[in-house]
Amino acid sequence: MFVGRVIGEVWATRRAEALGGIRLLAIVPLSAGDTPMSEQAMVVAADQVGAGVGEQVVVAYGHAARNALGVGEDAAIEAAVVGIVDDPASAFAGGSTP
Amino acid sequence: MMVGKVIGQVWATRKADSLEGLRFLLVRPLAANADGVCDAPEIVVAADLLGAGDGELVLVVFGRAARNVIGRGQGVAYQSAVVGIVDEIQLAGAGRS
Repeated sequence: MFVGRVIGEVWATRRAEALGGIRLLAIVPLSAGDTPMSEQAMVVAADQVGAGVGEQVVVAYGHAARNALGVGEDAAIEAAVVGIVDDPASAFAGGSTP
Repeated sequence: MMVGKVIGQVWATRKADSLEGLRFLLVRPLAANADGVCDAPEIVVAADLLGAGDGELVLVVFGRAARNVIGRGQGVAYQSAVVGIVDEIQLAGAGRS
């Protein structure tokens, strides 16, 4: 799991059936100080929680992600938003910021 | 899952039996830095059953989810697969907050 910031939304009409019709968000993993990890690939995660662009979210992978969505193990989903961070400023309060 | 641009294709005649007949794409993931969207340094190889073309943006899944896309069961040598071809991606929040 990691904390990231929602930077946008992704639409794909041509898709594998196993992906389903779920909402997909583009998320950048964050390092200390709420800054994107440098050149880190953005993660696309399914979202049923209703996160918006700019919000900080907690993302889970694999079995945990499918559990959070309530989809079976035969779904083609591997990352999901499992929570929206209440207070983004507090999430990295203990980290070192330049 | 990640989103990336198709930058080419890979052919391997000698390969694991379970990979027979599959098409493999080279995908460059989209990344972000403090200034906005950029290319990730690494390249991913993904099996493609959807027919994505060069330059298209695709969604790639890994692990069990990828093997579910391929549909040959879990006992095969696949780790990543194209699960969707992107129509539109709106990236409003990239860069420093």
